[in-house]
Amino acid sequence: MLLRAIAVVLVLAGQTALLVGQVQPRQQEEFTPIDQLPPQEQLPAAPLLVGAYAFVLLMLFGYLVIVSRRLGVIQREVDRLDNDMRQSGSH
Amino acid sequence: MPKWFQPATLLCAAMFALSPFVIAGAPYESTMGLVQKIFYYHMPSAWMFLTASVVCGIASARFLATSDTRHDRLALAAAEMAVLFGLLTLVTGPLWARKAWGTWWIWDARITSSLVGWMIAWAYLILRQYGGPGSEKLAAGLALFGMANVPFIYVSVNYWRTIHPATTVVPKLPFSMGFPLLFCLAAFLLLMVLLMKLRVRVAEQQARLDAIYLSLDERA
Repeated sequence: MLLRAIAVVLVLAGQTALLVGQVQPRQQEEFTPIDQLPPQEQLPAAPLLVGAYAFVLLMLFGYLVIVSRRLGVIQREVDRLDNDMRQSGSH
Repeated sequence: MPKWFQPATLLCAAMFALSPFVIAGAPYESTMGLVQKIFYYHMPSAWMFLTASVVCGIASARFLATSDTRHDRLALAAAEMAVLFGLLTLVTGPLWARKAWGTWWIWDARITSSLVGWMIAWAYLILRQYGGPGSEKLAAGLALFGMANVPFIYVSVNYWRTIHPATTVVPKLPFSMGFPLLFCLAAFLLLMVLLMKLRVRVAEQQARLDAIYLSLDERA
């Protein structure tokens, strides 16, 4: 009984593997060189290059602005509280 | 801020202003052409991402060992750097890959492990923000995993099948390409140190503010 069940499972697994083998397209082995890409896949390099550099510079500048503003807000709050404490201490 | 901060900021700004000219002077790579020049910002971003992850891990380990909050503040600043430079790496890479490899993204070991490292840095920050009291120690533990991931990201191209170039490529670059790369690396490193210093300063001032509010509460 057990042997029959194993045999059935093996046959089914073999058929499934055969089917999968037929359905799946052949795996690409290597990347496609740029000059062999179809025309609709070919992109001009300049927008990608400019986009990359612009993104980097904008993000770095944006982060710098955000952190500087945070520091300014906290610094002003610390100074205000320091002043308040000094004044309340002198009275 | 320390005395060196302002001259270093000016130097860094000058280096970033000069960098497009230095990069423009580098020769075109023979197979990829113009788009390969993304490399001069992509790779320094990636190295800063890895460096920040290591700094975050070391500072977190020291915080766990000593409970010194100075290490915790450095770890927090480094985690933000890891998120920032990781984002730059993960965006500039696909822009380069789309032209050079014909695809925006592949799930190879390097890109996938970089994404995981970036998500660990995000997880660190989210834990710090929303984890409540004691979350700084949990986050420090997480940062150790982020640091452990770094050597894996670096060597992954040598052991797993990928179309990323191996680690042996950069040391063999000719001077005409190596100099712009080193120039950009120096600019990015200086910028990361400055941003990290600024972020640590924010954390220090925040701690001071918290201490003032605490003392006012005790007086009241």
